[in-house]
Amino acid sequence: MRGLVAILRREFASRIDSASALVVTLVFAVVAQGLFFLLGHPVGSLQLPSFWEGRTASLQVVFAWLPLLFVGFVPALTMAAWADERAAGTEELLLAWPVSGAKAVVAKFLGVWLFLGLALLITVVPLALVVASLGDLDWNVVWCGLFGAFLLGGACAAIGLFLSALFREQLAAYLASVLVLGLLWVGGLLVPSLPPEWAEFVYYASPYAHFFDSAARGILDARDLVYHGTLMTAGLTANTLLVEGRRWK
Amino acid sequence: MIHASGLYKRYGDLVALDGVSFEIARGSVVGLLGPNGAGKSTTMKILTGTLVPDGGHATIDGRQVLPGDAESRRAVGYLPESTPLYRSMRVDGYLDFVAGMLGLGRSERKREVARVIGACRIGIHAGRSIGALSKGYRQRVGLAQALLGDPQVLILDEPTSGLDPAEVVHMRELVKELGREKTVLLSTHVLSEIEATASRVIIVAGGQLVADGNPLQLARKKSARLILLMRLGVDDMGVTDEEIGRELYDAAGVKEILDVSDLGGGVKRCAMRVERSVGSDSLQGEPVAELVAARVVKRGWHVSELSWEGLDFEAAFLELVEAHRASREAQA
Repeated sequence: MRGLVAILRREFASRIDSASALVVTLVFAVVAQGLFFLLGHPVGSLQLPSFWEGRTASLQVVFAWLPLLFVGFVPALTMAAWADERAAGTEELLLAWPVSGAKAVVAKFLGVWLFLGLALLITVVPLALVVASLGDLDWNVVWCGLFGAFLLGGACAAIGLFLSALFREQLAAYLASVLVLGLLWVGGLLVPSLPPEWAEFVYYASPYAHFFDSAARGILDARDLVYHGTLMTAGLTANTLLVEGRRWK
Repeated sequence: MIHASGLYKRYGDLVALDGVSFEIARGSVVGLLGPNGAGKSTTMKILTGTLVPDGGHATIDGRQVLPGDAESRRAVGYLPESTPLYRSMRVDGYLDFVAGMLGLGRSERKREVARVIGACRIGIHAGRSIGALSKGYRQRVGLAQALLGDPQVLILDEPTSGLDPAEVVHMRELVKELGREKTVLLSTHVLSEIEATASRVIIVAGGQLVADGNPLQLARKKSARLILLMRLGVDDMGVTDEEIGRELYDAAGVKEILDVSDLGGGVKRCAMRVERSVGSDSLQGEPVAELVAARVVKRGWHVSELSWEGLDFEAAFLELVEAHRASREAQA
């Protein structure tokens, strides 16, 4: 357990101490807030006006953008986690210390996930405070949406970490993660134009069904927990098999 | 303490290790030597649990090294080749992190980090970022992390690679000091380093064990002529050079007296050709020298210096490796 905590602390601290991670987080927060106040969400079938234009005490616009923002933001947090270990050779030491590959994978995941949670709070809570000062904001929907976004971020992080373990170069890991997470997001956008037999499957596989149409609207659904839990478990299991498998190479 | 039995490892079509077996007892420094691609690093990775062999097995202190076994890994301190470290971390923060990986509690971590910082003399850099340190100090930090938790076995993969001469000397001293209490297995390309630090050397080539023994003994087996040099104090006993020559010639293992000359002040310089081995090898690997020295001391003369001329470990190593390569080519 102490080994797991040591890795978790290192992963979390390495992002807090990293200027590039902080800049990326700042960009994520500023872009999310800019979109919320100025642009709204004029994408796909979900057309929402900006906060100043619509004058609605709701955070739906920012929640609508989060799946796409995660496509760029989460890979930036996960790309170095394993790729850097391989490039620097520290993965060999990590495997030599008395901590199993599975614990190392889970610890790295938790480190990234906690940082992501902090980034979400920094981004969404100030928006919520501004909106609440101007109108009647439903805080239950806000907390529910944040929780859903946290789960969605965890699923994205598990996928990003697995892909990071496939590469030695951070950039390759980043691009691969953007591609995979981007496909998930684009799938949701394509639903209206797909044949009905495909549309249902793609809809349930996309974050829209399990975040925007549920938690972001204040609905906690057990199916969403299963969806995100499955993605996290699949990502972490594949990551563990990949890392432990290197002992047999 | 370390037991490797029939280690076999294949990378695709390449056989990296082909039935390597050896045993290393507690409290000794053993060098693992071999040309590039010989299987040194693979052997070390298997002993530290970072690689699983395709055949054979390794045990540390009686416990088989298995991927899921944390105890066998806790018994080993490992410094991999090229000293991989988290360069953005501070030295003390990094060591605290590694101590945490070993499962140490807060107070134990603090004590252990202070101990290894002292042992590796990196105290003045404890608060600095690892990336800002010189190669030598980074190597020391790598060694310090290997010492955390006081493991009984240290496995050091080329610990002096890339260091300047002063740092090499310091690292050698450190390894020798550690070898008094721990079992140290170190690999290197620098043969003089093995001669300076290790009491035993294991030579691998092409994934197979080629030789295993004392570096001096290996050199002696392979050297064309073995010359023993001796400085003898005979004071004013009126002993002639001929008489000294006769006495030495009668000693077991001496084949020819090459020179007996007077250096003045009752000191004689003697050179003799000796046999490769005489009697048991239990005399610290130098039975001939021991026997000759014992004989002259019995006569009441004083041995002030005893050395070998023409013992070339490097030549012996190259001959062993070349012979192995030639035999494998002939087999193929």
